[in-house]
Amino acid sequence: MRREFLSSEQQKKGIHFDPRTKLLLILIISVFVLGGAGGNAMYFLRPVLSLVPFAMLISVGRGFHAALYIIAYTVCYVAQLILLPILTGFTNFLVLILAGTFCRFLPGFIIAYFVVTTTTVSEFMAGMERMHMPSKITIPLSVVFRFAPTVLEEAASISDAMKMRGIRFGGKKSSKILEYRLIPMITCSVKIGEELSAAALTRGLGAPLKRTNICEIGFHFPDVIIFILCGVTVAWAIFSAFSI
Amino acid sequence: MIEFREVSFSYGQNEQTCGIKNINLTIEDGQCVLLCGESGCGKTTLTRLVNGLIPHFYEGDLSGEVWMDDKNISKMPLYDTAAIVGSVFQSPKSQFFNVDTDSEIAFGCENLGLPEQEIRHRVKRTVRELQLESLMGRSIFHLSGGEKQKIACGSVSALYPEVMVLDEPSSNLDAAAIQDLRRTLTVWKKQGKTILIAEHRLFYLTDIADRILYLKNGKIIKEFTQHEFKKLSEEERHKMGLRSLSLENLSFSSAYVTDLEETMLLKDFCFSYRTGLDALHISNATIPKGEIIAVTGLNGAGKSTFARCMCGLEKRCGILEIKGRVLNWKKRLKYCYMVMQDTGHQLFTESVLDEILLSMETEDEEEACKILKKLDLLDLKSRHPLSLSGGQKQRVAIASALVSGREIIVFDEPTSGLGLHHMEEVAHSLRELRQEGKTLFVITHDPELILSCCTHVIHMKNGEITENYSLDRNGIKQMLSFFQNPIKEGSL
Repeated sequence: MRREFLSSEQQKKGIHFDPRTKLLLILIISVFVLGGAGGNAMYFLRPVLSLVPFAMLISVGRGFHAALYIIAYTVCYVAQLILLPILTGFTNFLVLILAGTFCRFLPGFIIAYFVVTTTTVSEFMAGMERMHMPSKITIPLSVVFRFAPTVLEEAASISDAMKMRGIRFGGKKSSKILEYRLIPMITCSVKIGEELSAAALTRGLGAPLKRTNICEIGFHFPDVIIFILCGVTVAWAIFSAFSI
Repeated sequence: MIEFREVSFSYGQNEQTCGIKNINLTIEDGQCVLLCGESGCGKTTLTRLVNGLIPHFYEGDLSGEVWMDDKNISKMPLYDTAAIVGSVFQSPKSQFFNVDTDSEIAFGCENLGLPEQEIRHRVKRTVRELQLESLMGRSIFHLSGGEKQKIACGSVSALYPEVMVLDEPSSNLDAAAIQDLRRTLTVWKKQGKTILIAEHRLFYLTDIADRILYLKNGKIIKEFTQHEFKKLSEEERHKMGLRSLSLENLSFSSAYVTDLEETMLLKDFCFSYRTGLDALHISNATIPKGEIIAVTGLNGAGKSTFARCMCGLEKRCGILEIKGRVLNWKKRLKYCYMVMQDTGHQLFTESVLDEILLSMETEDEEEACKILKKLDLLDLKSRHPLSLSGGQKQRVAIASALVSGREIIVFDEPTSGLGLHHMEEVAHSLRELRQEGKTLFVITHDPELILSCCTHVIHMKNGEITENYSLDRNGIKQMLSFFQNPIKEGSL
């Protein structure tokens, strides 16, 4: 029933990474695996980077997800290596598209999933503040994290109401579904937003002071390993770009 | 000391809530003041003047001054007021800024830039004082309304304000949560805080409030001490439009004997969410047809899941047998209708008339007007549904249920946050629906509503119907004993 952006409960087991480390990982994997930056020079590093999501999932005790991921990734990778040279025509094209897409998208997708499910909103905010993000960016972001699940809940009860009145695709008034959904959605979002702001203001939000954040974050040994890995990747990419 | 000096305020023209006129009021330190009166009497406005939301958040015409000791609240920025006045609001779902309970309690202190060590100390102390230990480290999306309200109180408390302002804090709470709220208020009172509370439900406050102000049309027209207030006769209370002052001597007109000749049968109403929570498991139940059935129980007992299954909103859940007809979930989607707690969710069109026409199999304006007339809505037929008052919206939702020929109508907390007269209006419409032969289910935490219209009670706990009785003399006793002693139920 409940959908959330970012986790709202503290991660209970496994290794804790700093939210900044996690953001860096998303960036590096997106650039080099998803974006394919570095070209052929990254041929060997790319599979190594793709192993990172696997390691991360293991580190928080999600062995099952980790196994699923590594199997899916290996199958696609091997398919690219073995099948592509023997296949021709349409089947070649199909395998290239499917396996290629998976190999590129899966690591980025999994690492994002890992970050989103293991970082609490407060950790994320603390991380942003440590990176000296201005509060003009961090406060709206935290509102989104807070507001989105509530709006989704409202949307769910509006669809219930539509179901009860028999308004559905293929039913009566299907052309007006969007309008019927949007109008109550907008009015209740405005109402909730207003109440939310009033409550936050009476708790002192917006004071022209430096906000304290009591969430404990910081770099530890596991973060250092990730940093070294990322550093090596970037250095390798730069080095190979120049040596050509 | 809080002082109102000749304060008048009116909202912009579009607001339905009316303002206040010429208020002169002095509240001494440590007093607990209860503001009561019917909806729109200005009690919420008064609380907003104390926490500074008026004039800094809600705009309008303000004259006069509100002082706290030597500070003029109306001129102070909100973040300064935040340190001396704490506010708790009506709706538990929209007064959280964080998504986990720990951060929420620290939130106010963080905003004021207090040192980290100090914040940790304050959070710890607040948790101990208000007994919040079991709620720490939780996601607010997994808390019940009552638990959220406790955290809201904690979050305010950690700021160590001198004044607490509460605006209808019990509207969405069940009986057990109200007792918790009462305990929190007692703690604050012992700490010597000044408490200002606007409320409809009065029974839990009669022993706490030192001073009771009765407002009407934006003016304070009567003032009572606790002693005087308790001695108020039933007749006077009724005339003032106030909810009852205690659950012990609730009056009821006549005990009712349910006609058990016509019944309906519930089979296999079983449902569990993917998380495994809030499950419903009713394998078999017989419920009278054509009655007004109160569905009682604490939050999380499965009442809303029951309502959703009844209306066919959960796929493949349960069979309803009624007069030899067997209705599965798909058929119930057309046979039952739910009037939601926030009726704004179920009104889609641009006018009240369109709303009714939308619900008809074949659009027939004459028929629609007939229904509107019956529900006293004919004059409003070209108004936009979302511009109506709460009670009118509710009646529009009822009208669309009637016009589409629904036999069972489920009401989800129809009287939360309503004063006596509005509650009686709801009870009146419910009774009229029953006379038309409809079967009504009313999910409610309001014993007064049950006494004024319901005829049968099903009590739920842990997803099961634990009691199923008609509201005769014994039934009334049984029902009231739950509302008087909900904690016993919770701890079992």
